[in-house]
Formats: sequence, structure tokens, C-alpha cells
Amino acid sequence: MRHCRIESIGVSLPRSHFPRWGSVRHAVKAGRRCLEASHHRKADIGLLINAGVHRDHHICEPAMAVFIQHRLGINIEFQNRSTLAFDLQNGGCGMLDAVQAVTALLQSAEIEAGLVVASEVNSDRHPDPRFDYAASGAALLLDLSPWRGRGFGEFAFHTRDANADAYVSLVSLAEKRGRIILKRRAELEDIYLSMAGAVVDDVLSRDHVRREDIDFVVPAQISAALLTRLPAVIGFPAQKVINLSRRLPDTLSTSVFLALKLALDERRPVPGQKALLLSFGSGITVAAAVYRF
Amino acid sequence: MIQPVSVPSGTTSLGDNIRIESLGVYLPEKILTMEALLASCRRRPRWDLERITGIHERRVAVGEYAVDLAIRAAGQALDMSRYQAEELDVIICTSISKYNRKNEFHLEPASAVRIRAAIGAGNARTFDVVNACAGMFTGIYVLQGMIRSGMARCGMVVSGEQNMPLAETAARELRHSFDGQLVALTLGDGGAALIIDRSPNAHKGFRHIDLVTGAKHDHYCYSRPSRRGPGGILVTKARGLQRKGNEHFPAYFKRAMDKIGWTIDDLQHIIPHQVSVRAIENGVRAVSRYLGSTLPDITRCCADHFGNTSTTSHFLAIHDAILQGHIQDGHNAMLVSGASGIVIAHATYSFDDLPRRYRLRFAGVS
Repeated sequence: MRHCRIESIGVSLPRSHFPRWGSVRHAVKAGRRCLEASHHRKADIGLLINAGVHRDHHICEPAMAVFIQHRLGINIEFQNRSTLAFDLQNGGCGMLDAVQAVTALLQSAEIEAGLVVASEVNSDRHPDPRFDYAASGAALLLDLSPWRGRGFGEFAFHTRDANADAYVSLVSLAEKRGRIILKRRAELEDIYLSMAGAVVDDVLSRDHVRREDIDFVVPAQISAALLTRLPAVIGFPAQKVINLSRRLPDTLSTSVFLALKLALDERRPVPGQKALLLSFGSGITVAAAVYRF
Repeated sequence: MIQPVSVPSGTTSLGDNIRIESLGVYLPEKILTMEALLASCRRRPRWDLERITGIHERRVAVGEYAVDLAIRAAGQALDMSRYQAEELDVIICTSISKYNRKNEFHLEPASAVRIRAAIGAGNARTFDVVNACAGMFTGIYVLQGMIRSGMARCGMVVSGEQNMPLAETAARELRHSFDGQLVALTLGDGGAALIIDRSPNAHKGFRHIDLVTGAKHDHYCYSRPSRRGPGGILVTKARGLQRKGNEHFPAYFKRAMDKIGWTIDDLQHIIPHQVSVRAIENGVRAVSRYLGSTLPDITRCCADHFGNTSTTSHFLAIHDAILQGHIQDGHNAMLVSGASGIVIAHATYSFDDLPRRYRLRFAGVS
């Protein structure tokens, strides 16, 4: 089976001096950088999935992916080459879900290349003080790997729906223009950590990979406290777990791929190296994927 | 694993079909007529909206929210299915309206997580797909990819649409007879769920699914919180949307038939998005003009009594047409969707024994 690989990656990092950038603008910035770094033409992209949770002006229709497709100029008119754009939502794990959806459609020959984007911005005039996600964007251009065995391997998604109310994000429509309300229980990080070990075991056994074969682990940069406790929980030495919490605040859905991009900028991966990607999100869902460079 | 073949992007290769193994529909009991809704408007539009749209009434959820409608429909689908809830590998919720409490539009957790918990599908992957009224089509398309690539064996695509809060805002905020919120008065509530697996018969099930987004036309229809008070609004440039849709969708309609070698004679049913009775008639005229001859009377419409239930409308129409005896085992159908974006979607479908099983279930012989 041919694997799905990251052909290019683009990010729009959190920036304090551009506070008015909306989620579409962050996604488009990341998408443009991704397309500039890619060998694919825009017309090749048959699928665009937006996995961001929070939207400009809380628009729920049409999909935000449509606005991003329009601004990126990807097959925007009804013509011979076409693109399908839609939103996929699963909180902090949405990008990994979207990558798996693109993988399925690549492997079943539906598309030649797919773009996964995500961005998070709170555009409220008076934001909920509990909303502490930095505005950011990330984009991945995915296609089938030309190299046997390289790219995304197995995925594992574990959901503990008994804890679904531990993390709730909603738009209150009782107020004009709507307002995001975020409810996170204090024990949220404990729940994430209690699930992380099993998810890592699951994905490694599905992929027939041992812990010592993994060269580095890229977790979502939830908080310094979680990242300090994480290595012991998942059974990896601390030096293998990427901890950028001093530079990179939590950015929700974009976090794993912002961390991956920064990690790859620092040390170029050698072919054959393996990374483990780890996301945490509402549900409560913890997701993991193995990536071979 | 299917070997990759060269096909246009956004379309499916032939063979290896998926099928609707089970269908579940939930319609709230309360009926609200167009006249009663118009009477509740602070400024009543001077149009005879019932005559213009052909919508006489719709169902309204009372004391239930969007996720409840989806859960009820999911339960109905499981009742008729040979699969147990814990056998589902994936649940994809495609609701646009995520009003899970009054004036609360839920972003997280995904509605699919709530549905999973309610039906006891403890082994299912869950996520939401949002693509306006083409949401259920998009969910089916993604699930088709997951089944074909071996990631899933069977899954559920489910949606619960509680659209009436948008109609209530429109009734409160309409300022004149050309107000963009007028279209919100055509909406209705309903839930639909499909259990989908690989078809054992290569000639049954979804033969071809084609979805395309013309993002240049993203300004015709949008929904967002109101700037003037509580609630959400739906603003639609209905004429422009319909004109642009009718300009482009007939070509995709023909392309969908061409992909599997069907002609109009092979079709027993056309199941359009139930926007309104008049919009469907306009669409039929547009296809007739494109194809050069009048279409036979095979278009199924339930908008007159259910209104526009957005993502769920095709499957309410199928439910209605099966129970009325129009759809029989072995019939072929073309499902046509137009959604804000603009998204144009077509699916060709050959029914197996689903219509007979569905009627038996409603007759209490399940």
C-alpha cells in the first residue's frame, strides 16, 4: 500500500503585532507558503479540508474551506479541473483526522493531491478570558509517496466520551454577533495524560514499530506542565519529545504541525527517521500517527 | 486496496461500490404551517410565500435540539440494520445546525461524539463534516474513501438539522419584502442517518459520487450570528444562487450519468435538494433545456410538507418516496444537491432491497 506523505508544509505563526488577522487570513497565509514550497500546481489539488475549530464571525455556512479555496485561487470556477472544499471538525485532533481522510481518498484514487489547512482565531470584540489559544495557521499538502514505506503509517484515535463535558467550546447566540465560551475542567490535562500511553501503544503495535525505532515525538504543545509529564507517561526519554512550550503557545488544532515545522527547521530529518505525532482534543480524543521520513 | 487509476479529481472510480445498508429518519411531531410562520413575523412580507415556494408546512422540534434529532435518526437506522452500534467503525456527523441547547451553537466536542455516546458505538471513530447543505453527500464521499482504502468496514453518516431558530430570527428581524433572510422562512427540522458498508453487488449502491466547489460564488448564501440581537441568521441571494446553480449543474448532471453509461431512460427517480417546490421545478426546466427534451415525471419532492431541511432533505425525500411506493427494489436514482459555497453534488444510486425492508419495518414486520 502506498503511503500518504507531506509534500510541503506551511505555517502562519502566532504574532502579537497583527492581532486583527482572522482565521481565513491565517489559513491563507499558511496555505500560500505551503503552495510556494510545493512542486504541485494549484490545479492538481482535488480536495481542500479545513480542520480549524473557530471561525471568523462564527460563520457556520458555507464551509470556511470555501473562503480559503477562493483566496488561494484553487479551481474556483466550475471548470474541467475541480476541487471539493469542506470543513472537518474534531477539536485539537482535527488535522490528524483530515490527514487520514485525505489518505483514504488518495489511496482510493479519488484525488491526486489534497490540502489540509487549519487556523484558530477568536474574532470576538470581548473575548472569553479562558480562550488562550494564540492565533495561527498551518497547511499541509499531501500526496502519495513515491518512496515505498515513507510517509504516514498507521493512525490511532481513542475517544473517551464519558469525559465529553471536560472540554466544551460553543458560540453563545444570546449575545449580538455571538461570543465564544470555552469550558475546560481543571483535570483536563490529567485525562489527556491518562489516555496518551494507550494511544501510543496502539499506534506502535498497529505499525509494528518499537519505541526505540521512533526518533522523535511531536506532541501538541498544550502546556509546559503537560509536556514535562508526557515522556514518562508514553515511555519515551524526555530528549526525544519535542518541547517548544517556551516559544510556542498552545494553538489548538494547528499545534502539532506548527511544532513539526519548527522542529524540522532546526534539524533536517534524515531519510528513514521516524516521528510520532500526538494530538489532544475535545471528545475527549487523543490521536497518534507514525510518520516515516 | 484499490490500485490507483487515472480519474478526474473529485470523482469516484467505478466498481467497489458502497451502499446504504440502513436508513433512519426522524421527523418531529409538531407541524407549523407557512401561514402560521408568516403570521408570527413582526413585519409580514407582502409576498404569498406559500404560492411562491410551494411549501405548505414543515416539522418543528419542540424541547429537542439538533443533536437529539441526529440521535433519534441514528437509533432508527440501527433498528433496521444488521450491524450493532459497537460494530460501527466511523460516525460522521454532518449537521450544519449544532444548536445543542437554546442559543448555544456547539463547536466542541464534535456532535459525532455525543451521538456515539448516546447510541453506544464505543468502537467508532468520530468527527464532524461541515459542507452546508451538501454535508451528508460529503460525509458519504469521505466514508466511501475510508471503506475502499480498508480503514473502515462500515460507518454511519448522520445529521440532525434544527433550522427553526434561523426562521425565528428571520420572523423577528425581517425589515422588508426583499430581505435576505426571507429564505429562512422555508426551513424545517428533521434528522437522517445512513449506515453504509461495502455493497455485495457491484451493480447496486452508490455507482458514482461527484462533488465540486465553485468557491468564486461563495457570497450567495451564508449563516452567522445576528448583528441585531440573539440568534443566528441565514442570508441568501436566492435568485442569484438559483441562477448560478442552474447555469452549471445540468452539465454535472449529464457528466454523472455519462460516468456510468446511464441515460435518462435508466433513471426511475431524480431526488433533488428540497429547497422549495418552485426551485425544484426551475431546476428540472434547466436540465430539460440542457438535455434538449422535457424530463419525464420522475422528480421526487417532499418540500411541500417538510420544507427545506438542509443536509437531511434528500434522505427525507427517499423516506417519503419509499413509503409512498414510488421507489422499489432495483430502481435507479440520481441524487442532486446544490449548496452554498457553491457546492454542486451528484450521486447515482441503484437500490438493492432497501425499499422493501424499509416498508416492512414501517409495517411492523421487521
